[in-house]
Amino acid sequence: MASVPGFAAACGGGSSSSSSSAGTTTQKLASTLRFSNWPLYMDYVTKTKRYPTLDAFTKKYGVKVDYKEDINSNSEFFGKIQGPLSRGQSINRDLIVLTDNEQYLALMIQKGWAEKLDKDAIPNISNLVDVQRHPGFDPNREYTLPWQSGMTGIAYDSKLTKPILTIDQLLEDKSLKGRVTVLNSWADTLGLVMLSNGDNPSKITDESFKRALDRVKAASDSGQIRQFTGNDYTGPLSKGDLKACVSWSGDITQLADPKLKWNAPTEGGMIWTDNMLIPKGGNVYTASFYMNYAYTPAVQAKIAEYIQYVTPVKGTQEVIQKTDPALANNQLIFPTEETLSRVHLIDPEALKNPKYNEQWQAVLGA
Amino acid sequence: MKFVRHHLLTAYAILAFAYLLVPIAIVIAFSFNNPPGRYNYTWRGFTLRQWQNWDGVPGLKDAMVLSLEIAFLAAVVATALGTFIALALVRYGFRGRGGTNVLIFVPMATPEVVLGASLLILFLNLGSAVQLGFWTILIAHIMFCISYVVVTVKARLISFDRSLEEAAMDLGANEFTTFRKVTLPLIAPAIIAGLLLSFALSIDDFVVTYFNAGSEVTFPLFVWGAAQRGVPPQVNVFGTVIFVVALGLMLINVLVQRRREGVTA
Amino acid sequence: MGFLHRHRGLTPYLLLAPGLLWLAVFFLVPLGFLAQQSLESGDFAVGYSFSWAWGNYWDAINQYHAWLFRSLLYAGLATLLALVISYPLAYWIAFRGGRWKNLLLVMIIAPFFVTYLIRTLAWQTILADQGPVVRILRDVHILGANGRLLATSIAVVAGITYNFLPFMALPLYVSLESIDKRLIEAAEDLYASSVQAFLRVTLPLSLPGVVAGTLLTFIPATGDFINAQLLGTPRQAMIGNVIQSKFFNLLDYPGAAALSFTLMAAVLLLIAVYARVIGTEKLTG
Repeated sequence: MASVPGFAAACGGGSSSSSSSAGTTTQKLASTLRFSNWPLYMDYVTKTKRYPTLDAFTKKYGVKVDYKEDINSNSEFFGKIQGPLSRGQSINRDLIVLTDNEQYLALMIQKGWAEKLDKDAIPNISNLVDVQRHPGFDPNREYTLPWQSGMTGIAYDSKLTKPILTIDQLLEDKSLKGRVTVLNSWADTLGLVMLSNGDNPSKITDESFKRALDRVKAASDSGQIRQFTGNDYTGPLSKGDLKACVSWSGDITQLADPKLKWNAPTEGGMIWTDNMLIPKGGNVYTASFYMNYAYTPAVQAKIAEYIQYVTPVKGTQEVIQKTDPALANNQLIFPTEETLSRVHLIDPEALKNPKYNEQWQAVLGA
Repeated sequence: MKFVRHHLLTAYAILAFAYLLVPIAIVIAFSFNNPPGRYNYTWRGFTLRQWQNWDGVPGLKDAMVLSLEIAFLAAVVATALGTFIALALVRYGFRGRGGTNVLIFVPMATPEVVLGASLLILFLNLGSAVQLGFWTILIAHIMFCISYVVVTVKARLISFDRSLEEAAMDLGANEFTTFRKVTLPLIAPAIIAGLLLSFALSIDDFVVTYFNAGSEVTFPLFVWGAAQRGVPPQVNVFGTVIFVVALGLMLINVLVQRRREGVTA
Repeated sequence: MGFLHRHRGLTPYLLLAPGLLWLAVFFLVPLGFLAQQSLESGDFAVGYSFSWAWGNYWDAINQYHAWLFRSLLYAGLATLLALVISYPLAYWIAFRGGRWKNLLLVMIIAPFFVTYLIRTLAWQTILADQGPVVRILRDVHILGANGRLLATSIAVVAGITYNFLPFMALPLYVSLESIDKRLIEAAEDLYASSVQAFLRVTLPLSLPGVVAGTLLTFIPATGDFINAQLLGTPRQAMIGNVIQSKFFNLLDYPGAAALSFTLMAAVLLLIAVYARVIGTEKLTG
């Protein structure tokens, strides 16, 4: 029973291991963290062309960060990485970020393409806001951790139309005919429509799905809905081709045009979260270690100030309150309990339902 | 009447070029735009700051350089390979001629998404010998450009007057010299067209590149990614520069031609 | 080079070898994988396995023939438009370009320097509902009071036409440029009007270029998806959009593969018909 001291060391302990379950003291950080993320999702200073929090991470822990903003669509990125992953090959990334309101995040976990987090390396996980602790696709947060959240609602051009605050208006108000777009991801669009129908998007049934789908199809057939878009709605919206559209909260902030207004619909909006995930073959310890770093309120404050989406880390608002009270009280970035109560999560089981996907794609034209 | 018809054609050509280049004009104009946020859609005021801060977007310059490198290489290799195939197809009978003719069309007919994904499968099956990146992108681009060169050069070869070559050989030139001094100059416009088409195809390719780039980023990949949160005006700056540089290089070409004509006239 | 002269039989194979080898390895092999995939069945969650699933092809034709026809129609219209627009332009460069020819050719492909997305965004700016073009068209009643150009089939076809213009213009130019001007002079010396000279001399001699241009435009245009996605509504969806959707959203790789082969077969069939109609020598020499 007495362990021989030299034996453990001689048996190859001490090199960086990717799936050690315990013992942070014996693990070594990799020399580089390979991190893929969405554009504009990391604090950045134009003048110096650097990412301050990533530089601070490198300085403090000696880990270089190979940061690439090469994720711009869940479906496209997944379409690319499923090739190597399905053949048991690594995609040469330690950390990627996928959204929870499309099927791909859950599929990564289901297919075994996500590594388990090294929770011992993430004590700051206790800073995770309560509402994010037990999501449907990852009930015990074993594989994912939120990066940032955002909200889906309705944007309208105040110069061209009276305020559009409900889905009823968006889909049925004739004065908007041909000047409306909706998002091409069904969790965003049908989620809002279900709320307008009085149904619960967090618990979807075939009937509630059909009700919402039929309504959207009717609006598309009648010409009310002009197009189904990704985030390319921003162009037509700024140019006045659109009077109102389903849109993401952060985009309107970035358009910085006073005539464009964003609101969660009266009946309720949707909230989605981009989650960090370690793809198979990634360095678990280093990635987990970074996650812990990002969950430090002081670091998160810097990130949140730049990104201006909803942060999942408790304590961030207090930090920002000291330096930028206006930002700390911005509803779009730090929504109050009241606002949060009006936004809903999509039913994660429904996301996996292939029939729903097919029916939606048929409405999109394919 | 002839005057009108003569200038009608020129007027049309000007209109046609205007049609072709009007997006470039917009790109150039918006490189001087001063948008407050990240989106460069509506005119907000004139500024030179995008030009002053031309290198302000990380990765943009590298993406552009990578795209140019690959486009030049792909164009040259694809044009060489394609020209040889065209010569073989038009001038020689050989077994498999019909099949080759069909084979040339198939890559063009293959939807890019499955073309890119299938090529990726090939690279993945080659395992760790193959690193996705510069070389895999280049390989892919050469692959899909060859067909375009073959069709273009073939069109020229089909109507080529062989008697010129025969005359040269009657005058004592061997096959290689004839090819070099008679054939090549006469099919040069087709080869140049093949180069230009391949260059255009390569520098603008998105889907096939997306699958096979690994973590490299070409210019179209960069723009597509940036479009998620707004294409920065620096992209317009780069587009303008490339256009102006190309224009400049071709102007030099014009001057060289004039010099050459002046010497031989 | 004497080697080549004596062993004439080898020359074609030597010329073909590098290019064909390249295509064999980097195109045919992937195509083989695709073919195998098209005969698989199953679903993504559980996995796909090879099962001679010819049903995938039946489903493709059965469910999606409308999209197939639409794609062929849009590609055909765009090719025709591109021909009409490019021919006079190519003619002008070939006959009047002089030493500016190469510069003008580079100007034709210049739009490709700024990537597809930027070109399309620029056109969306020009053709915006509130923009000058649409306003004028509404004023002269070509468009209804609420009419628009974007998000219509017109926009999709126009987008395809614009983006494939160089593929029509350049081959046309190559053919026109090679025409011996003295032939036209001779025709005119023989009392042909310039129109007759064009129709009887220039046009026939430029046909190889027309054939090449139509092939280089039509064939890739059939598989296009991006113009329909950005400039169209669900009603304009082409077969390329269906394949995109199957691949990225429905994760139905066998379906996408079968659909792709169906498209390729349709296109090759059309090329065969085209070759028969125009005479195979123009196609194969």
